Amino acid sequence: MNSARGARFRLEPYLEFAKKAISREATYRFDVFTSIGSFVVRVYLLRMVWTALYAHNAAPSDLPLHTIITYSTIALLMGLVLDIDQTRILHDKLHDGSIATDFMKPINVPLYFFSDGTGEVVFHAFLIVPALLLSLLFVHIDIPAPGVLAAFALSFLLGYFVGFCINFILNCIAFWTLEISGVQLILTWVTDLLGGGIIPLILFPLALQKAIFVLPFAAMFSTPLLIYVGHIPPSGYAAAFGLQISWLLLLAAGAWIIWRAGARRVIVQGG
Amino acid sequence: MPIIETRELRKVFRSLKRESGVLGTLSTLFSRTFEEKVAVENVNMSLEAGELVGYIGPNGAGKSTTIKMLTGILVPTSGHIQVAGLVPYEKRRQNAANIGVVFGQRSQLYWDLPLRESFELLRAIYGVPRDRYRQNLAHFSEILDLERFMATPVRQLSLGERMRGDFAAAMLHDPQIVYLDEPTIGLDVVAKEAIRTFISEINRERGATVILTTHDLADVERLCNRIILIDTGTIIYDGSVERLRTEYGTHRTLVVTFAEPFGEIAIDGAEFDGREGNTVRLRFDRRTLTAEALIRRVTERFAVTDVSIIEPDIETIVRRIYVEGYQEQVPATGPL
Repeated sequence: MNSARGARFRLEPYLEFAKKAISREATYRFDVFTSIGSFVVRVYLLRMVWTALYAHNAAPSDLPLHTIITYSTIALLMGLVLDIDQTRILHDKLHDGSIATDFMKPINVPLYFFSDGTGEVVFHAFLIVPALLLSLLFVHIDIPAPGVLAAFALSFLLGYFVGFCINFILNCIAFWTLEISGVQLILTWVTDLLGGGIIPLILFPLALQKAIFVLPFAAMFSTPLLIYVGHIPPSGYAAAFGLQISWLLLLAAGAWIIWRAGARRVIVQGG
Repeated sequence: MPIIETRELRKVFRSLKRESGVLGTLSTLFSRTFEEKVAVENVNMSLEAGELVGYIGPNGAGKSTTIKMLTGILVPTSGHIQVAGLVPYEKRRQNAANIGVVFGQRSQLYWDLPLRESFELLRAIYGVPRDRYRQNLAHFSEILDLERFMATPVRQLSLGERMRGDFAAAMLHDPQIVYLDEPTIGLDVVAKEAIRTFISEINRERGATVILTTHDLADVERLCNRIILIDTGTIIYDGSVERLRTEYGTHRTLVVTFAEPFGEIAIDGAEFDGREGNTVRLRFDRRTLTAEALIRRVTERFAVTDVSIIEPDIETIVRRIYVEGYQEQVPATGPL
């Protein structure tokens, strides 16, 4: 009777993992205030920087000042969710060896990490509301048509999954090295620069743009943002989603392979 | 049919050979040589449902490696394992539903959350029906006195409280098989006693099969009928605690308090084993000398106010085996 329980898939444990992650995050109240505080400061600084830059240079025709301020503010709001390494828990568990206790449970372990990470992200997603309201004190944000907003939301979601896979692969490296902070630092810089979260990729030299747009980092920030500000028109949605989905499938396959290899190492070598 | 069975179980770890010194460390970055370490060799064990077995051995003997293979998180290099009809490493998740595990050195509770929330999570993981969950929780809470700290985040619990929580957590889904890896390590006497009562209860009342590894042989004496001794990866004794005591605990100690100060003591057949004021300890082999005969020899020559006999405890016996190795006084395979 007991052995049959582990055999069929039940969603309940994973929903519970996500719920527990939300309550866990909620225990760190100080973190919530500092992250909203730093968010508001960054919105204000970015407005000052772009305003000053635009005052002394000719504005690019397709990116007027109000558009770039909208772009930067939305990018920061997305960052509240996308900048979280929701699979950090994997690294921590590999580091202290507690991953063994997870393997002793009748659960799919990667799916557990995904649920836990999603719970964490859902909690932080709630911060978007107060952060948005506070930022409206300093900046004006353009609101696009509902159709565009829906496309943005879908693209944002795809970007989140891409980010999850990248983080997961990165944390899997700890199966071999136990330590990933160096790689992680490099990845943060690369994502900031090539993801389009700080400087829109359309301001890069044309030759460079072609290369950057096909990278997975653009799929996280740049694609949803360019949809939001209308730089990618509805006629370009299919291609944009197509590229995001391609990256998602490729990275998910990569994540699966590296996870299998890492888990194998634990069960053969004992971690 | 045995519920746990291993045959010729073997596990070899391959590890990177590290050179000493700065140059050595640098050289391992480029050229790697591996060395093999045999952790477990030819382990055969067979447990019937409902047994409570002490699995004993010095550090690094292979206890944890065996337990890991039984739980399915470690693949054996060769040999055969079957736990409740399943090969654990092939059916990790199904096997996991049958077992409960407690590690003294590692908690499975959620660090940041109140104890109760960890239990709820485990209920969801194992799919325990709500009625059964409530019953079990009420019962465990009574034996382990959990109510006081049910709402406390786990990181604020004392070690004793946390262990009690961990025990309840491991049993919520009524596992048929329970692995306990040094569950009483670092606990005070009161907590140890609570844990021992609990182990005995889940074994007797719920019929769970228990494998207990521990360095505290009082746990074994109190709980186990059978012990399996492992050293350097090989099983050296498998049988009843009683048999180990009678066949290996051959030496008893007579403690004698003399009425007046005395000089040298030499008694035929007994070995001088220390003195403290007027009290002397004499060690003797019960196979060659009865206690009665020894006491007679002593009282014939001295005025004595008190005598007592110390039976060899399992601790002393096992310590002697660790140091001297287990000599084949009995076949090491035990009653299979």
